[in-house]
Parts: sequence; C-alpha cells; structure tokens
Amino acid sequence: MPNNYFNTLPLREQLAQLAKCRFMDISEFPDGVEALKGKKIVVIGCGAQGLAQGMNLRDSGCDVSYTLRAAAIAEKRQSWKSATENGFVVGTYEELIPTADVVLNLTPDKQHTAVVNAIMPLMKQGACLSYSHGFNIVEEGMKIREDLTVIMVAPKCPGSEVRNEYVRGFGVPTLIAVHEDNDPKGEGLALAKAYAVGTGGHKAGVLMSSFIAEVKSDLMGEQTILCGMLQTGSLLCFDKMVEEGIDPGYASKLIQFGWETVTEALKYGGVTNMLDRLSNPAKIKAFDLSEELKQIMRPLYNKHQDDIIDGTFSRTMMEDWANDDVNLLGWRAETAETAFEKTPAGDVEISEQEYFDHGILMVAMVKAGVELAFETMTAAGIVADSAYYESLHETPLIANTIARKKLYEMNATISDTAEYGCYLYNHACLPLLADFMKGIKTDVIGRGLAVDDNGVDNARLIEVNTALRAHPVEAIGTVLRGHMADMKKIV
Amino acid sequence: MNICLDNLTVNFDDRFQLDEINWQLDDSQHWVITGANGSGKSALAAVLAGIGEHISGTLSGVPAKVGIVSFEAQAELIEAELKKDDADIMDVISAGTPVYEILNPGNSNQQLIDELVEKFSMQSLVNRAFRKLSTGESRKVMLIRALASEPDLLVLDEPFDGLDAYTLEMLQEYLTSLVETVPMVLVLNRFDEFPEFITHIAYIDDGRLQHQIDRNDSKAYNELYQLLHLKTTDLQVPAADPETAIPRLDPAQPLVHLNNIDIKYDDHKIIDSLNWTIERNQHWQLSGPNGSGKTCLLSLITGDHPQCYVNDIFVFGFQRGNGESIWQIKQFIGYVSTALQWEYKVGTGLRNVIISGFYDSIGLYTKATDRQKKIADEWLALLGMSNRADVPFNKLSYGDQRLLLIARAMVKHPPLLILDEPCLGLDDMNRQLVLALIEKICAGSETSVLYVNHHPEDQIKGIDNYLALEKK
Repeated sequence: MPNNYFNTLPLREQLAQLAKCRFMDISEFPDGVEALKGKKIVVIGCGAQGLAQGMNLRDSGCDVSYTLRAAAIAEKRQSWKSATENGFVVGTYEELIPTADVVLNLTPDKQHTAVVNAIMPLMKQGACLSYSHGFNIVEEGMKIREDLTVIMVAPKCPGSEVRNEYVRGFGVPTLIAVHEDNDPKGEGLALAKAYAVGTGGHKAGVLMSSFIAEVKSDLMGEQTILCGMLQTGSLLCFDKMVEEGIDPGYASKLIQFGWETVTEALKYGGVTNMLDRLSNPAKIKAFDLSEELKQIMRPLYNKHQDDIIDGTFSRTMMEDWANDDVNLLGWRAETAETAFEKTPAGDVEISEQEYFDHGILMVAMVKAGVELAFETMTAAGIVADSAYYESLHETPLIANTIARKKLYEMNATISDTAEYGCYLYNHACLPLLADFMKGIKTDVIGRGLAVDDNGVDNARLIEVNTALRAHPVEAIGTVLRGHMADMKKIV
Repeated sequence: MNICLDNLTVNFDDRFQLDEINWQLDDSQHWVITGANGSGKSALAAVLAGIGEHISGTLSGVPAKVGIVSFEAQAELIEAELKKDDADIMDVISAGTPVYEILNPGNSNQQLIDELVEKFSMQSLVNRAFRKLSTGESRKVMLIRALASEPDLLVLDEPFDGLDAYTLEMLQEYLTSLVETVPMVLVLNRFDEFPEFITHIAYIDDGRLQHQIDRNDSKAYNELYQLLHLKTTDLQVPAADPETAIPRLDPAQPLVHLNNIDIKYDDHKIIDSLNWTIERNQHWQLSGPNGSGKTCLLSLITGDHPQCYVNDIFVFGFQRGNGESIWQIKQFIGYVSTALQWEYKVGTGLRNVIISGFYDSIGLYTKATDRQKKIADEWLALLGMSNRADVPFNKLSYGDQRLLLIARAMVKHPPLLILDEPCLGLDDMNRQLVLALIEKICAGSETSVLYVNHHPEDQIKGIDNYLALEKK
C-alpha cells in the first residue's frame, strides 16, 4: 500500500496546507502565457478535459501535442481520433515525453500511479508535471523526481464548458496549486498562472490553493452535498411521492429538473435566495425541515470528513480499485434499477415556480446539505473560500447533469472518486433518513402547501430570515459572487 | 368607395416610374404612405389625384372629388399666378388673384371656408394676393381649399411640413374630426407625426410598394419604423474607439492568404487544394451550395477551425501556428452568422452586446469605458433602438438581434467584416433592414466585406470579387 502524504506531515503543516485558498485578482496575471512561450506542452490523455484544455492552450499561442498509450494509437481509439482530427501531433510516451517542457497529466485518478510511473523516467531534467487533481500526490503519496516541478491547474467545470467558455471569450473558475516539495526552480507558480491564463481561467477567477486543500475539500464536497445528497434525495423523494399516490411521471420530472431549477436560484443568490423563492409559510416549513435534517445528518457529514482527512476513505476506495471495482460496479448496477431511474419524466408542464412550491423538501435538502458540508469543512480547517466552491458553488453543476439524464448521467460524468464517495454516502444516508421520511407528506413534496392564505407570524418570519442570512456560507458567498459578477456580466 | 390599383405601372414624364403597384383602399381606412426621399411616395399619392401616365394595369374606384394638398400642387398654383402677372393683356399692373378667390373656386361651402380661415388664423390675409403669401401661408391656403371642397377622398402630401406647433395641433384635431366622413391618405415620413386615426401604412421603396401593414400589427409596425429610420437617418456609422484601436497592418500585405488548403473529415474531402487571397479594400462574395465548405473556409480565417494549425494560412500579418493567439487574429475581424446568433444567448442589455464587439466576446466580461458606452449609444441611435439600450438581448425579435450583432461586429471598424448569410431566416422586411444597414456600413468605412450568401436577390452594392465553391 502506498503512503498517504498528508499523514506524513506534522499537524501544524497539515493545518497550514488545509487553510490555503486565496481568490486571485485578474490584475495578478499581467504576463499572460509568457511563462509557457517557447515551451513544449505534452498532454497525456485526450478525453473531454484533455481535449478542451489542449485546444484552449493552443488557441492562446502555446505549443501543444498529445501523448497516448501505444495501444490507443495503434487501435485508433477515440482519444487518438479526437487529437488527430483537431490537427494535433500525437505520439507515444517514448516519442513525446522526452521532448516536453511541461507534461499535463489529464488522465483519470485511477490511472495516475501507472501513468506517472511510466512517464517519469522519460521526462526531461527540470521539466514540469501538472495535475488537475491532487489525489495521486496527497492520498497515494506519489513521489516525484526531485528535479521536476509539480503543479496543479484544475478548471472547476466539465471539459465541454472549459472549451465553450473560452471560445466565447471567457473562462471557468480555476484552482491552481504548487506542490512545495517539488518546486526546485521556484517557477511553479508562474507556470501554473500561465497555464490558467492559457485555458481562460483567469477571466473567471483563479483560486490559489494547495494540493492538500484541493483534495480534502473536493472529496468532501463531491461525496456529500454534490452527489450523495442529490442521489439520496432523488430516491427518497420519488418513492415518497409514488407512495402518496402522485403520478410517477410527474414525480420523476419534478425531481429530474427540480434540482437544477432550485439550485439555479442558489447560484445567483445563495441559500437565502433559494428560500426566498418560496412563499413565507413554505419558507418557514423548508427552514424547519432543514434544521431537522441537519441534526440527523451531522454525524454522517462528520464521519465523511474524518475519513477523508485521515485517509480511511482513499484507502477503502483503493482497496476496491485493487479488487476490480466490485463495490463500485455493484452500486452502479443497483442505481440503474431504482424506481426513479426507471421511470421516465412525464409529459407534463411544470412551471419554474412550481418546482419550488411543490419541492419544499428538495429545497430543504439542498440547504441542509450545503450548510452541513460547509460547516464540516471549515471545522476541519479548510478555509471558507474553498468550502464555498466545493459545496454551494458546484451544486448547480451537478444538478445540471441530473437534469440531462438522471443519476446515471451524473455518475457517468463525475470522477471515479466522486462516484465511489457518492455510493458510500447514499448507503449510509438512506437508512438514516428512514424515520424522518415517515413523517413527510405531499404538502412538502409533490403538491405544495394547502393553505388558504399566506399569512405567517411576524416574529417567526424574522427569526427565519435572520438565521438564513447569518449563516457563514452566505457571508463568503456574497463576497465571492461579487468577484464573479464583476467579471461575468451574463445574467 | 373601394379604390383598387391592380398591377399599375405609372410614368411621370419619364422622370420617375411607379412599378406594378397592387393596392386596395376602402372607405373605412386611413392610410399613410411612407418611404425614403425619392422612393415614390408623393408619386403614389398623386396617382390618386389622376396624375401620371398609366403604362399598364388598372386604377378603379377613385371618387370624383379628390382634395389634394402637395408641394407640387402648390407650386403649380403659384406658377399659374406668376404667369397671370406676365400676361400682358391689360396695361395695368396685376395685383394677382386674392386669397378668397383661390379659396373658393366657385362651388365650395363658404361658411366652412370662413370657419377654416378662422381656425388657421388667416382672416387678415384673405384679401391679400395669393402670390404675395409666404410658403407657409400659401400652404395653409391649399389646406383650407382642399378641406372646404368637401371631398370624397382627401390626399395630403406632407401636410404638417412647415406648420407652426399651434397650427399643427389644430390640423391634427380637425383631421381627426373628419375620420367618419372622409377617407384620408397622408404622405408622411416621420412616424411620430402619424395621427392616431391612421389604420394602415404603405411603405414604398424605389417605385415599388414594398409593404402594407395594419397599424395594429405592432411587430410589423416597429420593424417598419426601423426600416424607415435606417433609410432616412442622417446619422452615420459611428467612429471606432481610438483608445482600443486595432494595430495597424502592413499595407503591402494581403489581409488573408490561404495557400493550397486541404480539409477532410474521415477521408471525405471538404476543401481540396484551395488558394485564395483577400487584398485590402477588396469586397468579396463567397457562394456555394450547402456542404461546399463555405463555413469551414471562414472558420479557417477566423481561427475557429482546428485545422487552421496544419494548413498554410496567413492572416493579418500572422503565419498561423507560430505562437499567436486566436484573440490576436479575431481583433481584426468582425463576424456575423446564424450560428453566432444561436450561441449569443445572453440576457445582457443591448448596449453591452454592442460593446462586446470591442472584445470579440459573447457577453461582456470587462468593464466598458465611457467612450465605448458612448459609441454603443451612437450605434443604437443609428439602429433606431435608443429607447431600448437596457432591454435584455434575448428579448429582442430575431431580426433585431441580427441588426445588433452586425453593429457589434462593426463597432471596432475591423479591417475585415465577415457576413455569413446575414439574411438567413429573416422575413422580407427584416431582410431589407439588414441590407440597408450593411449598405450604410459599406458606404461609411474602410472595412473589406466578405459576404456569404446564395440568394441572388440579396446583392450588396460595391462587391466585385466572387469565389464560388462547388460541392465535393
């Protein structure tokens, strides 16, 4: 078993690394892609992320080529086709890696150890190796040759968006980091910044983080609120509605598109705005439900964070990797058989507002999940900026994948680490919420409140509104969305 | 009454011709004829008063008594008066015909005349010689005469021109009081002068009746407003922004040089060994059937095609694939296409859409300068959209979006403006709007236009280089 890098560090260093996250102003990128000019960039892997980043870098004036495993080239696989049809030079590791000044490892986490072990001996003295996820370094303890610079540049969006936003003259929020143990020439930050500019990320906002903060917050966010909560919530809400006699087609549609609709409000104005979309009685109801959910689920969120921090999570997952993914594949098959997944969305009209009015419980689940994930991450030493991006900010992106093709699409799109974590969460959370769900009726999921008028108690409404706005995720959200709004004037 | 012009072609002393007019008016309708200067709107009005030589087609249903007021009729009367002066019949100096005689040629309602004279404040002038009146005063005389003749059809060509505010308002009111008794045809070229009671609008251009719209059709009404605005405005294409000026190009080099271009997908050749050079100040039309590679060729120039890195392409001083960025290329290009319009799905305001042209971005991500805002506002004024500067772009009609994207493409005065089927998907009115804007641009800048289209009727003046692609 490899060594967990994080666990080798003293506590004070662990805390210092976890706390790293700073929003960089666009004025900090005056040199553009200069640091990459004249350098040869070789990308390993040509999936969605690899192709998008390579195309952006080339359009920014960089010299980009692709290296694939010999078999992928010989069999003319999709990755080979993608790269060649787009006019890139493609070669084997042996052909291209020795010529590279910067190597971008854009393969899935699971392949990292094998890929890095294969390319490292071929790399030029003093070259740079870049990751888009820190798992291999932090959780697997991969040791990189001392003369090599190691950086991370992680656009916080799927590959298709990375490309589309660049083409329209913008970019996607991007996280950068330098692995301090591997920065022999002190050029890591300059290279990471130039890379972020080359992919357009500097226009949308760059977060300067650390490998450790990225891994520990990314894993936590993706397995709890982002994927786990939405998957668990989908299954519970659907079964409840059908049990209460609501048309399965309607229930399926309300959930499939409901997450996307309610989290759109979250994206623009945080948890407060999402709840403000409800009538006053419904808002108070959603608030009460979310308080209850938070109380029930808090131990689960704590356990996920603890397992991530001490390495238990990555160890169990790697054991499953070593065991031919038996658990993961079993869970994936189970999900495909759920009633929600098998019931197509009905041909009914649901207005944008109706998704809120009839989905009070979904709103409550998103609120509870976002706040719990944020609270748990910050309690573990992750700074608020990171915690915000890995919880609230990314929720609409994942909700969007469910809107496309339900849970299957979500699990197919997310990383292998996210999918594994999602199943862990789902298996623990379903029984945890069983009692709570017994008390749920269609007034909060499926039909909406049946009230004669929207009158509420003034004092109670003020309490709820104050509590919503006072949550720390709202404070940091207001600041970060402010940065974003300055740059992105699309509404 | 039901006046019917059926395929009517009318010649006016070989000076002007109305062609193949099809138009029907019934007595419950009140029309405005509008159009740019020289379009033929006065001629069409005059046809109703029996003027012009009918070459072909028929005119029927015109009532016997038509009251007409026009500059031509006014000029004619004045000329006749001056002739009288010169008529050396008597050995006395003629005082000229007094106004009261002109006002009542014999059979008009004198009481009504007196009423109107008072309304127009002309009491002190009734005994004056007609030829001694000022232009404005003689205009009023013409109006009173026509109104007092109790016509069955009233044709008023620019009746409000030269009237003071008080008289204008009075006349508008008076005409409104007549709506139940007499059908009216007014020639006007300012929409804000259209009286409330107008029910229909006829738009004429180049001697042809191009559009007839019901006033209640607000979409058509607004489009017509813009079309007339673009055709008649004195506003010119706004200047570029000196602060964000495009770098100067070497005048000795071509804008674009494509050398021996090959593009293929899965062994299917789209473009085969093509050579093409666009010199400065050349305008080009690119045509070819669907699938002949037009858009592919354009995207090689704009840098949007991934194969531009593996072909021999020289654009705006850059030999592609030598470390230049696509933004360095795009700064020299203004670009409009249907695909761009599909991609340009933003709710940002119209002003911001135009400003985004300075940055070649879809949406605006940079704080605009005051000067850029001012230039954008000048464009909105040119388009007749000033009152909509902050309307979300995605709330505009399809045709208005296209106009705005053309303004966006042109705002920086690029050396090359690429218009990829700019009229595609537009109805006739919007098509004319777009062409009117493009002509305005071609006339007022040093930009080379590369125009892609396969509709022969959508010609743009001044394009004299052609490249036709064939389907492979």
